[in-house]
Order: sequence, then structure tokens, then C-alpha cells
Amino acid sequence: MKFIRLKAVTRKEFYHLIRDYRSLYLAFAIPLLLIILFGYALSLDVDNVETVFVDYDKSELSRDFIRKLDASPYFRVSALLPASKDAVDFLDHDRAKLAIVIPPDFKKSIGADREIQLQIIIDGSDPSFGNIVRGYISAFVERYNQKMLIHFLNRQGQERIHPPVDGRVRIWFNEDMESRNFIIPGLIAVIIMIVGAILTSLIIVREYENGTMETIKSMPVQAGEFLLGKAIPYFFIGLTDLLIAVLLGQLLFGIVMKGNFGLLMVAASLYLSVALSLGILISNVTKSQMLANQMAILTTYLPSLLLSNFVFPIINMPKFLQMITLVVPARYFIDILSGIYLKNLGIAYLWPSMLVLLLMFIVLTFLNYKMLKKEGL
Amino acid sequence: MSWLRIRELVRKEFIQLFNDKRNRAMIMIMPFIMMFVFGYVVNYDIKNVRMAVLDYSKTPESRSLIKSFEGNNIFHVTHVVANEKHMTELLLRQKIDVGIKIGHDFASVMREGRTAPVQFLVDGSMSNMTSVRVAYIASILDRFNREELRKLYPVDMSYGKLDARVRTWYNPNLDSQYFFVPGIVAFLIMLTSFILTSIAIIREKEDGTMEQLIVTPLKSYEFIIGKTIPYIIIALCQLFAVTAVAVYWFEIPFKGSFVLLLIAACLFLLSNLGIGLFISTISSTKQQAMMTAFFFILPFFMLSGFVFPIANMPEIVQWLTYLNPLRFFLVIIRDIFLKGVGMDVMWPQYLALSILGIIVFTGAIMRFKKRLD
Repeated sequence: MKFIRLKAVTRKEFYHLIRDYRSLYLAFAIPLLLIILFGYALSLDVDNVETVFVDYDKSELSRDFIRKLDASPYFRVSALLPASKDAVDFLDHDRAKLAIVIPPDFKKSIGADREIQLQIIIDGSDPSFGNIVRGYISAFVERYNQKMLIHFLNRQGQERIHPPVDGRVRIWFNEDMESRNFIIPGLIAVIIMIVGAILTSLIIVREYENGTMETIKSMPVQAGEFLLGKAIPYFFIGLTDLLIAVLLGQLLFGIVMKGNFGLLMVAASLYLSVALSLGILISNVTKSQMLANQMAILTTYLPSLLLSNFVFPIINMPKFLQMITLVVPARYFIDILSGIYLKNLGIAYLWPSMLVLLLMFIVLTFLNYKMLKKEGL
Repeated sequence: MSWLRIRELVRKEFIQLFNDKRNRAMIMIMPFIMMFVFGYVVNYDIKNVRMAVLDYSKTPESRSLIKSFEGNNIFHVTHVVANEKHMTELLLRQKIDVGIKIGHDFASVMREGRTAPVQFLVDGSMSNMTSVRVAYIASILDRFNREELRKLYPVDMSYGKLDARVRTWYNPNLDSQYFFVPGIVAFLIMLTSFILTSIAIIREKEDGTMEQLIVTPLKSYEFIIGKTIPYIIIALCQLFAVTAVAVYWFEIPFKGSFVLLLIAACLFLLSNLGIGLFISTISSTKQQAMMTAFFFILPFFMLSGFVFPIANMPEIVQWLTYLNPLRFFLVIIRDIFLKGVGMDVMWPQYLALSILGIIVFTGAIMRFKKRLD
């Protein structure tokens, strides 16, 4: 391998890159757009659920129940309606997500120590939302019942009664429970994949389409120099994007990395190398730019988005999809990212994922090298 | 306007489209791949929560607490650990989602009638999943408390208790696929109409056949009509196909009227084709067109309520989503599938789609004509 030839290939590739403004635009604008969108606009957390009440009882007790619910950060009572059919209307028109009907003998039943039915209707069309709301409202009712029971027992006996068990829940890793704290780090994996694989998927096929591959073959450049030289400019773009993502996450959205930045750089370089070699492999096997682009989107971008634990939990997928995720590089990098960002883990915990990435890199590079050799480079 | 000229252009377009093996694959196979992958990937059901137990108390009381967690199909005790270090380790290595620690004096404190603390360690990385898990922990504990109180105070326990009859409408089992699969139908139509239309026009530019078309008697509006009709037909065929997959493979109920869906799809296509035309005017190669389409698709997808609820977005962004045709079409397609409501409920969405469609389409045509002339 000769440095001067490597430098020449790198320079040529670099010129290609800066002269194609649209690719550069993709390389920097899409990461920016994604980070701003996800950091600012997109959240999976649920609070202030729009709730409507139909209060047939209109007693002190029922009003107190409504007030208690409204005071909870999870619900917001937006209307008190006269009849159940109005509540149905609100749900149908998507003006409320939760409707609660308090029956006429609410106070009387509770006063007489009788069980009373409470009608609760959740808009379940969005199941993740519906699940969360159901969890919240069940917990709220259970808590209310427990209070009622203790109240009842206190009336029966003389001594003060305490609930036997108190749950002290501690949330680890994402103490503020903000979805952006795991989405933004995960986004780094998606962005690097877009830049690394989609852009590089064109770099060799372009030579074939333009007919310049023959020229390159006739030159003294070797396969290894050619590969490395082609990849270097994209490697730097990838690292720049990583820095942009880390900085924007921290400055705009206050997402602080708990772990070691140096370790992140090492892991990111490894992952970036995998992405680049994957892109080059696509470029090697396809013979048209259109096809290369589509293959790159299908085999790199979509899996990094969908099959990587980014926002869609792998554990809920069917077994065969879980098996497929094992060969998705982003899955391992997101593991590392969440380890570094949220959990402050060191190499002692992260080495298995890094090893997998390293193996992927070695295999892909070997394939690329073989293919270029076969082409006669 | 000559129908003959338009018909011939449409025919040429179809021949060109289906002669290319890769195009055929993209039109006929891609939608199904996307449908199956998306249909199975997006699943936020709360189940199989892995739990580790650290029980220092080892009493009937502590065992009964653990049992109350095992009694439902949400939590599964996967590990029984002997010390805190082991539990932390499991949490760090993502082997468990929740850890429960019961102290030495758990039972004795309870028997004295005081409150015994129980510690829970919860992995909060995916906060949306975590908040539901925490809510379920709270409900299970409260239920356990009531049962224990009942054991401790053997008196008549009929008290004014709320019996919550929770029903989830439109999607009674909170099945993730019910929500996402109709959404994919909408997304796929957007994808193909964006990309195919823009490429159809770019192709003429790139191959140099645009000049030939210009010297033919073909008028510019005939050109636009002839170039868009094939993609309307393809998009509607895809609509049929993927709706059939949704109904027969994923078994999503289809409660509303198909005619209404078809009308909505046509309105939706209007703005999509407009955007496709627009992309073709600002790109000069297929490559650029693909990238530009990609750049458009991202925000349309993210800000549509497909995965990320619009209600969670900041106010300004919520206003912005009103410019997104996909947002309205998603509401319509989900309402038709799951709620089966009619025009009386959905007319604002239809109106919005029409307005957006007309503005975008005429705008794109005007820009396109200027380019052409």
C-alpha cells in the first residue's frame, strides 16, 4: 500500500463529493432535520390525557373524584358532559381520549359501603397510547380504592391503619422519563447509517456507470488503496455528523452523556466502518445507481430504523424478526449508545457488542476486497 | 385536448414502467415487504416484562407478594438473585426490566400493622414502556394491600369500592396491528406516488427524450395528465392489494365503506402527485430526485401521527401538521377501518385533503409548465 496513491484516490473522491451539492446536503441536512424533529417535536410519552366526565351523581363525592383526577399530571379534565351519548360523540370526533361515567347513586353506594360500577371508556385506536392510559387509570382507581378501604377500616377499628406495603419505585438510566433521552442517542445510529451506507452505496457503481472503472483498473492503484481511499472522505463526514448530533443533543435538548466520550468515539468509528463497508459492498454488487440506492435504503436505512430497538422494542417482535435483528449492525451500536449515554457503562460491559461490530467489519471488508480483486483491480 | 394523445402517452408510460425488471419489483413487491415488516415491527403491547426477585424476607408474606406479580401475564420472574449486586448487573446488561427487593423485616413490619417498604428498580430507557410498567406495579401493589388488609382485619369487608369497568373502544384488545397496519397502507401510497411520479418525468429529461416529446403535438397539460394517470392507477391498485393484505392476513376489521376510502385516496393522491411533479422540477437526475423525495418523506412521515402522537407535539408543530396531507389521510383510513364512521364525522378531513390537493397540484402544474415552455 502506497500513501501517495491512497491520497490521490481520497482526493478524487473528495472532489466528487463536494461537487455533488445534493449529496452533501443529504449528509448534513438530514441529520439536522432528524435531530431537531425528534428532539423538539416527537415524543412517545403520555401526559395530560384529554378526559371528559359524565357526572350523573353531581354530589360532593363525585366532584371530589373528578378534582383528584384532574390534579394528577396524567389527566386533564376538559369537559363535564350532561349525558353518556355526548361522551360517545367526543370520542368519535377525537376530542377526548378518555371518558368516565359516574352513575347516579355514586355517593349513596359509597356511603352505604356498597360496590359501585364506574364506566371508563378509552380511545384505544392507538394501542400504545391506550395501554398507557389504561395503566394510568387502573392505578388511579386502585389507589382510590385503597384509600376507601383504609378509611373504612379506620371507621371500624380504633387504631390507625396503614397500608401493609409501600412500593418505592426507582427509575434507572432515564430518571426524567423523557423519550427523547433514548431517541436522540439512538438517532445517532440511524444518521451514521444514512450517511455511511446510502452515500457510499454509489461510490463504486458510479465508476461503472460512468465507464471510469476501466481507467482505474489500468492504473497502478491496488484494491486495498482504492477501498480505503474511497471510504476516507465519508468516514470524516460520518464523524462530523456524530459530533453534530452529540453537540446538538446536549446544547439544544440537554441530553447529557453520562459515559465516556472517548469510548463513544471508538465505538462510533467501528460502527461507521461497518456502515461504510456495507455501503461499498452494495456498490460492488449492484450495477446501477438507482438499484444501489434502493438496496441501500432497504437493507441499511430501514433496518436501522425498524429492527434496532431504536423506538420499536425488539422484545415485542415475533421470533423470526428477532432473529433477523441479530445481523443488523445498528442494533449493537444502539446497545452501546444507550450504555454510554444513559447507563455510564464501560468497556467491561460493552465489549461483546463491539466485538460483533468488529467481526462484521472484518467479514464485509474481506468480501469487498475479494470482489474488487475479482474485477481485476 | 386530445384523448388519443393522452391515451398513447399513458400506454407508453406503462410499457416503459413494466419493461424494467427493477421497476416491476419495486411496484409489485416492495409494498408487501414493507407491509409485513412494519406490520410486525411496531408493537408496544406491554407483556413479557422480565423481573428479577431479591427476597431477603423469605416469608409467606413475601412469597405471596411475588406471587401477585406472577399471577398476571405481564410480569415474568426470570431471575431469582441473592444480592443487590447481581440485580444491578442484570439491569445493566438488559437481562431484566424490573427488579424487586424485599427487605429482611418485610413480614415483621407488616404483622405489626406498619407499612413495609418494597424497593423496585425499573429500567427507564424506553420511557413510554416504563411508565406503563410502573403504573402496573402500582396497581398490583394496591390490590395486594387490599387483600392483606382483608387478612389482617377479618371483619366484613363490604365497603364503598369502585369497580372500574374499563373498555377500550375502536380497538378492544389494544392490538398494535389494528393501529399501524392501516397507517402503512397510507404511507405506502405516499411512497410510491412521490417517487414514481418524479422519476417518470426525470427519466425523460435524463434520456434526452423530453425534447422529442416537446416537438410532438402533445400539449403540456396533456403531458401532465398522461404522466400522472398511470401512477394514479398504480397507486389505487396498490391500495386494493395492501388493503386486502390488511384485512385477510392481518385480520384488521374493515368497518367503513370502501368507496369513501377510494375517494379519500384520490384526494390524497392529488397532493402527492403535485409534490412528485414539484420534485421533478427541482431535480435533474434520478439520483437527486430520489434523495429529494427522501428528504420530503421524512417529515411527512414523522409529523403525521403514524407512530408519534400529534397531541404530544408542541403547539407550533401541531399547527404545522395541518399542512401534511398524510395526517388527514391517516385519520380517514383509521376511522374507516376501525371506527366505521361516515362523512358526517370525517368531512373536515376530506375538506382539508381537497384544499391541500388543489393548492399543491395547481401550484406544481404552474411551476412545471413554466419549466416546460
